[in-house]
Amino acid sequence: MGGFEIILDGFARALQILSSGDQEILGITLLSLRVSLTATLLGAAFGIPLGFLIARKDFHGRSVVTTIINTLMGLPPVVVGLVVYLFLSASGPLGFLSLLYTPEAMILAQMILTFPIVCGITISSILSLSPKLKETLASLSAPPSWEAMVLLNESRLGLITALIAAFGAAISEVGAIMMVGGNLLGYTRALTTAIMLYTNMGEFATAIALGIILLLIAFGVNLFLTYLQMRSRVRRTT
Amino acid sequence: MSSLKNNKLLAIIFIAVIVVVLAIAYKPASPPQRLIIATTTSTVDTGLLDYLKPYFDSMFNADMTWLYLGTGQALEVASRGDADILLVHDRAREDAFVSSGNGTLRVTVMYNDFVIIGPQNDPAGARGTNATEAMVKIAQAGASGNAVFVSRGDNSGTNALEKRLWTKAGVSASGTWYVSTGSGMAPTIRVANEKGGYTISDRGSFHKLRSTMNTTLSLVIICENDTSLLNPYGIILLNSTKYPNINSDLATDFLLFMVSREGQSLIGNFTVDGKQLFFPIYGRPESIGLPPESATAEYLNSLLRSKGLE
Repeated sequence: MGGFEIILDGFARALQILSSGDQEILGITLLSLRVSLTATLLGAAFGIPLGFLIARKDFHGRSVVTTIINTLMGLPPVVVGLVVYLFLSASGPLGFLSLLYTPEAMILAQMILTFPIVCGITISSILSLSPKLKETLASLSAPPSWEAMVLLNESRLGLITALIAAFGAAISEVGAIMMVGGNLLGYTRALTTAIMLYTNMGEFATAIALGIILLLIAFGVNLFLTYLQMRSRVRRTT
Repeated sequence: MSSLKNNKLLAIIFIAVIVVVLAIAYKPASPPQRLIIATTTSTVDTGLLDYLKPYFDSMFNADMTWLYLGTGQALEVASRGDADILLVHDRAREDAFVSSGNGTLRVTVMYNDFVIIGPQNDPAGARGTNATEAMVKIAQAGASGNAVFVSRGDNSGTNALEKRLWTKAGVSASGTWYVSTGSGMAPTIRVANEKGGYTISDRGSFHKLRSTMNTTLSLVIICENDTSLLNPYGIILLNSTKYPNINSDLATDFLLFMVSREGQSLIGNFTVDGKQLFFPIYGRPESIGLPPESATAEYLNSLLRSKGLE
């Protein structure tokens, strides 16, 4: 079978899987969504406040910290996976938690990937706000919490971009969740690790079909985020 | 107009919330007894474990899962206590694993054989020779730019066998003709296929890949049926004193299942496209020229009897 036929065959398989509601693949898809959405939200819960602080506080070494965070945005997933694995391994320092080969371990590994992405983009969105706005806020001597709300609200376009980038990195990553999840069927098999397994087994059409399903759910999540982004842009210009 | 827009927004938020809640609330069904087998790529790629799973699961109310690794990584992961049992194929390292105290028992359960595969036109002229001569011819043709050898290069059992063959052939395998993929069996065969090169595969993985890739896989068997190409698979029970958190009872059940009459006949009945890929050999490894394991077999037979499995 030529390459093009395999891809077409993959589309046919994807339709077949979607229409038949295959339980195994439904489970794999929901696990992927659950792990990557949770990792994105947790990454944001830590990344946005820290990014805000770094952008707002003028402290010594701020550019070094920012550079480090920007570098971490490119962390290789497989290295994160290996380090998290060594920590969670039965003979590792956190082995007593028995987290290895669980979805929670996969969330932890992906959170380490999403956190610097959200943090880095938050820093740059806050820094790129108009200096006039900051001056106005300063002249009003607004309480810090109010000031933070205004600035975060004004940079919401950038913050949504941060979520989109973080979710994209999480849902498409295979190296980290393969190491810490182990790709155990029914427990920790996610879309990307299943794609890798089917590719190794030479079942290319199934691998392509899962790739299409992955793109579809990523499209669904991004449709929602982009809608929010567009809406906030419209509101801002009026 | 504006209320229509709001309704649309509400609907979208509603759907999004449902999706998120479903995704977060979803927990895969988790029966109590999970068994994690650290194993080599060939038992997974061929579909053998997929085939055995329903039998084992229903017999022991278990959920059999596996880590898809090369033998080297499987031994490493198990030595850290991150798997319940090992099913691998590299005798030398298996014995070292047991003698270092990581495992308590090792037994040969089945075998198949390795084959040297290569392009149909066989540029090295390795056909019709034994395995060692074939390796010499491939190296010679490689050095003169007429052949390529693709190695797993991943410390797997297959990689270990390949290194033994090079040593036997007295060849130091390096140079532009020697390519190392660092990946599993099926990906390595595919690289060899693209490059028109030679490689070594267990017969099972090669056969399975040929049945899924059909005519796009143009490599053929160049050398086979040599005693040095024998590929025995062993199961190792891990030391439960050293690794108290592993599921050693279920691991023992899995070992007994694999050596029981039923397990052995299931292994023998597993076929891909009508071809048997693994041959049961428990209790009589000497019949294929391996060292006898009578003491281990005697002990396991008594366990089988006490559990009513046999």
